Amino acid sequence: MQGDSTVRMPVAGRAEQKANAGIRIGTCGYSYAEWVESGFYPAGTKGGEMLRAYAEHFSVTELNYTWYQLPKASAIERQRKQAPAGFLFAAKLTRTMTHEVAADWRTEVARYRDGIRPLQEARQLAAVLVQLPPEFGRTLNNRKHLAVVLNELEGLPLAVEFRNGTWNHERVFGEFERRGVTLVAVDEPDLPGLFPALNRVTSPQFYVRFHGRNAKGWRTGNMQSKFDYSYSDKELLDWSRRYLEPMAARAKTGLVFFNNHVRAQAARNALALLRLLRSMGLEAG
Amino acid sequence: MLTAERSIVHLNVVDFAVAVERALEPRLRERPVIVAPEGTARACVFDMSDEAYRAGVRKGMPLDRAHRIIRDAAVLPPHLDRYERATAALFNEAKPYSPLVERADENGHLFLDVTGTGRLWGPPPDVAWRIRKTARDSLGFDPVWTVAPNKLLAKVASRLGRPNETCIVEDGEEAGLLAPVPMDLLPGVEREDLERLRTLRLRKAGDVAALSLGQLEVALGLPSRARKLHELVRGIDRSEVLPATARRPVVRVEHTFAADTNSAPLVTGALYGLVEAAGAELRERQLAARRIGVVLDYSDGVRVIRSATPAEATASDRALYGHASEALRRAWVRRVRVRHLRLVCDRLIFPPAQLNLFEEEAHDVRKGKGLDRALDKIRKKYGLEAVRVGRTLPVQQRP
Repeated sequence: MQGDSTVRMPVAGRAEQKANAGIRIGTCGYSYAEWVESGFYPAGTKGGEMLRAYAEHFSVTELNYTWYQLPKASAIERQRKQAPAGFLFAAKLTRTMTHEVAADWRTEVARYRDGIRPLQEARQLAAVLVQLPPEFGRTLNNRKHLAVVLNELEGLPLAVEFRNGTWNHERVFGEFERRGVTLVAVDEPDLPGLFPALNRVTSPQFYVRFHGRNAKGWRTGNMQSKFDYSYSDKELLDWSRRYLEPMAARAKTGLVFFNNHVRAQAARNALALLRLLRSMGLEAG
Repeated sequence: MLTAERSIVHLNVVDFAVAVERALEPRLRERPVIVAPEGTARACVFDMSDEAYRAGVRKGMPLDRAHRIIRDAAVLPPHLDRYERATAALFNEAKPYSPLVERADENGHLFLDVTGTGRLWGPPPDVAWRIRKTARDSLGFDPVWTVAPNKLLAKVASRLGRPNETCIVEDGEEAGLLAPVPMDLLPGVEREDLERLRTLRLRKAGDVAALSLGQLEVALGLPSRARKLHELVRGIDRSEVLPATARRPVVRVEHTFAADTNSAPLVTGALYGLVEAAGAELRERQLAARRIGVVLDYSDGVRVIRSATPAEATASDRALYGHASEALRRAWVRRVRVRHLRLVCDRLIFPPAQLNLFEEEAHDVRKGKGLDRALDKIRKKYGLEAVRVGRTLPVQQRP
């Protein structure tokens, strides 16, 4: 852990934030012990204090623990109360419906809905992220499974992230438009088979995930290698011009999350993008 | 993601014996499985698959009855060596993730302390999930995993919810998690305390947590037990996960009865034999034990562990036996036959050099030590059977 020599990162400042900004920027998860060591959170910040500290910088976060376990309404409500009014949450769909599909996954959908209900009722649920695994290609069975999952989750603000390039197909996007489901735009390493970066908008809200471009670490199975990357200002500028600007022009609102959490690079990059978008005249908070 | 002062991962393979048998013989996945020692009189269920459990089969149930409940179940004999090896394999899968990995008392149960390993391996839930995934892919069984700020909460969390359900307990969630938990699901609650609490209609951890320490002392009578329970129901547990590489400072000896028994002379005779073996090893290593534990395995697979803590560390057979008897008395509370007895002497230190205050007591201690020394000397020279204490005579087989 660093002491007084820690260099604190620039803070957007609550006064500067716009609670109803068109584009909300945040990170995938916020509770990382190493973000204290990296200086993003003040020294001594405990797990239970991190959301409040995070909300000093950002107006949205992506809950990724809901991928590991079904959300519980009591825990979600406790979490919601820790954040300021107007703060939004995107929640990942649990792995038993996407990666390790349980025989009784439909009953899990009902439990998932119950778990995130406090966010929905408080109008603080920005999206439900349906992240699909790399091996989930566009086969007949997988198409059917995805269709049933989307049916079961109807009524929730859904966003689907593919990790398999075979889903890059106009018929998929057309179906998403029909259903009002958001296609997640991704930035990730340029490796064969991955879903490409696109600026396709399929619903009134766009959703972007920056995973970092660590090609060497991507398939190591170690999160610390996979998501160890820091975007340069030029990379963020190029991406914003090519993808974010056109998407922002076509959608009403947008969500942008950084997943390169190692050593708080996600938080640093998110703050840098926030400043950049504002300098480009985009409404971001 | 979870961030806590400590991050303890607990892996727990549900119905472990069945899980191991099914990993070795995948066809067993297609039918209910009961593990029980066939061919023995009044054989009892040692373990069963979830299908058998849902049909009404329970551990310790007579095998005949289990058969009547679920006729198409595959019945397999227990293979304790397989379960030991499978636990060791699970341990090896977990070892790369932390220097602190500990095998729990039951097979198929592990604790890992992953505090501070985030820079290497990422957030604790991801570490737990990865170990579970590797175990599933390479060993063929699927552990439940939990992450919590301490071992107690990690253990309790694994017993809650539905089978195979993950649970991540964050700092500050202790009270909420434990409040609805029945007291008999909390590890380490003594039977006498449970009964006392029941008479006071205190059935759940939340009921007990509502009492002050002073009220709990009045309810239980013993301040030390009250303090322990007071912390337990609040989810406080300071126990550490032991290093994977550390050789436990422990003396462990065991005895398997030739046939399951509930004969008091046989069981206490075996216990004395174990005390003699443990005492000799302690004296040989010039150590003394501050805790004496008895692990009792009943023929139906139920294991009960109890321990006694002497006021002063000891390596004398007489003192060790006194405490071991006390632990046995508290462990041996069922009418089911006993299969296996283990004596564990731990919290080892070098023997205290402090003199006894009273001459009479000091004389007794000196006499006891002299007798132990003489027996050790004879046995070292002529073998264990050269000299025996009368109470071990009913036991044919020495440990």
